[in-house]
Amino acid sequence: MKLTRWLKSWEFSLAVMLVVEVLVLGAINPAFLKVEDLLYSTNDFMHIIFAALAMTLTIITGGIDISSTSVMGLTSIVIGLGWVAGMNIVAAVALAIVVGTLAGLFNGLFVAYTDIHPLVITLGTLFMFGGIAAGLPGVLDFLGFKAYGAAGFSAYMYEGITGFPQSFGDFTQNSIMGLPIPLILIFLFALFLALLLHRTRFGRYLYLIGVNQEAAEYTGVPVKKALILAYTLSGLGAAIAGVMLTSYFTSARSDLGSKDLLPIITAVVLGGTDIMGGSGTIVGTLIAGIFIGYLRQGLLALGVTSDVVPVVTGFLLVVVVAAKLLVARFNEERLNRQALKSRQEEALGGLGKEVS
Amino acid sequence: MNRLLRNRELLVFLLLVVMVIGVGLVSPHFLSPRSLRNVANSSLILILVSVGEMFVVLTRGLDVSVGATMGLSAVVLGLALNAGVALPIAILLALIVGVLAGAVNSVGVAIFRVPPIIMTLGTLGMYRGTMRILTGGSWIETIPANIKHLAKLTFLEIHMFVWVTLAVILLAVLVLKKFKPARYFYLVGDNEEGALFLGIPIQRTVFVAYILAGFFSAMAAVVFVAQVGFVPMQTGNGQELKALAALVIGGVSLTGGVGTPVSAFIGALFLKTVDSMLIFLKVPGYWSNAVGGIILLVAVYFDYRLREAVNLRQLLSRRKVRMEHIKKVRSAVEANRNGHTHEES
Repeated sequence: MKLTRWLKSWEFSLAVMLVVEVLVLGAINPAFLKVEDLLYSTNDFMHIIFAALAMTLTIITGGIDISSTSVMGLTSIVIGLGWVAGMNIVAAVALAIVVGTLAGLFNGLFVAYTDIHPLVITLGTLFMFGGIAAGLPGVLDFLGFKAYGAAGFSAYMYEGITGFPQSFGDFTQNSIMGLPIPLILIFLFALFLALLLHRTRFGRYLYLIGVNQEAAEYTGVPVKKALILAYTLSGLGAAIAGVMLTSYFTSARSDLGSKDLLPIITAVVLGGTDIMGGSGTIVGTLIAGIFIGYLRQGLLALGVTSDVVPVVTGFLLVVVVAAKLLVARFNEERLNRQALKSRQEEALGGLGKEVS
Repeated sequence: MNRLLRNRELLVFLLLVVMVIGVGLVSPHFLSPRSLRNVANSSLILILVSVGEMFVVLTRGLDVSVGATMGLSAVVLGLALNAGVALPIAILLALIVGVLAGAVNSVGVAIFRVPPIIMTLGTLGMYRGTMRILTGGSWIETIPANIKHLAKLTFLEIHMFVWVTLAVILLAVLVLKKFKPARYFYLVGDNEEGALFLGIPIQRTVFVAYILAGFFSAMAAVVFVAQVGFVPMQTGNGQELKALAALVIGGVSLTGGVGTPVSAFIGALFLKTVDSMLIFLKVPGYWSNAVGGIILLVAVYFDYRLREAVNLRQLLSRRKVRMEHIKKVRSAVEANRNGHTHEES
């Protein structure tokens, strides 16, 4: 019974889809199947998975945090500024993660203490954090602090703040026991969130809030605390994504990740999380994120230009959601028909008894 | 005072006037007809996109593909003009592309019931990709002069596009006020179940809303191509988010059913005027996003506190009336009892 339920789950279908995807892409281009390449190509889209994992929490509560792409850029710029200011790279990264988490906390407080829709709030902070990230180096430079890095303004405009130590760039390139470090961190982060979401009271609160926030409040769920924590974690996830991206490109830019809102939300929704809140799993988001990433890699490897990728991703998103809705409606109708039929039989049976 | 506070459009407009005069005091140049004309011209695109987006938001929907639709229409317009298509036909073609792009969203949202944010996020990617595929990823740089000429036409010292935009908004206001089926946008957004029981054609209403959003985005694309004179790949990038911000500032409720084209107009004008002011005060361009975000947050927070205060005042006044009523009843009972005791004695 448990096994069949597991086999019927969306996560299992996703995993099958992922395997099929890799096999199909491999059949077309055998070079794609090299295990090492498969593992290392995740570096190209790890930030999407980090952000998507964190966003799963806020979407489960029936909200959304679209500011995470800006938080990535903000984190990146903070690392750059910290490094230029002469901080140790580890300290700069720590500072950046703190800043990103505080950005999430800001969202959380705003969402918890007003009745404004999270989409509106995080739309505002999307602009605000992004604008601060873009404007901060300019202000600091105006104040007499050489914020553009050693190479000066024109180099900054072209490639961001550079000149990081070798070890920082290596961080995302190295591996432990054959697994790239970013991938290990993704699994650890996913495990942490999964335990939090599926094994703690806090996790149950998030689902309850997503199903019916008012009812959750009247039942005594600490709605405000739970929401604040969810959005803070969303900020943390985006901050880690920003650190990874900065290390991967070995340059700090305010617009890192700014174009990736579509694949991030696609990963969450494809992973089975209901955009209206109340359901979803971390595993689903993880598999869907890898699926989308490999799809992109595969399309590029097949010689499709990167322009086509958003067309395919967007199409996939719409078709999957529409198909899931159709299946759900079909199932409901079938159940209704069954119920009606058994009810009719019952009524007929009762009639028969009366006659005899 | 209460009525003023509740009239969001008027409040934002007054704030806008105060700010314009304030900047004018710092640098009087800002108030010159030339600079004000520039502000008006640069606001047109966001105003058009916002009014289109408003129809969708009224139905409690959301369309994040309007910027991409604008980009796609602009590319089609540019390509058509470069292929030698006559100007009116090319513009018509761009508008048709906008309507079709909107119709795709309509099919997904109204018929397949895909949540609006998912549907339009998907088409956002699709339209942006299509736009790049059509041009091979490069900008359309040489646009024939005939369309650029449109942006230079003036009437009474004001550019023709401004008049056209104002006329379109006036028309939208009139239609939404006087034309009965146009009220359905409000009904569907305010209470979909209620609208269903009233026999309102919900599907058709939602369908039309997304088509209007596409149509207005295409109009914005025409203005863009005429004003700018070339089509970069970033055309319309982020317009959807700016339009949503404009709507919220103007007082259109994202939970549907509240707002007019005037709200969208005022909100967009406010955002773009602030942008122009920042440029005028020589603040670097990249701060305009941060300022826009902060304005949005302050506006919604202020709105929230205001609603709370109004609610509280209503509750208090209701309580006062109730207490007075109780007092009256009590004294009447008291008087009655006293009367009885008198009779008995």
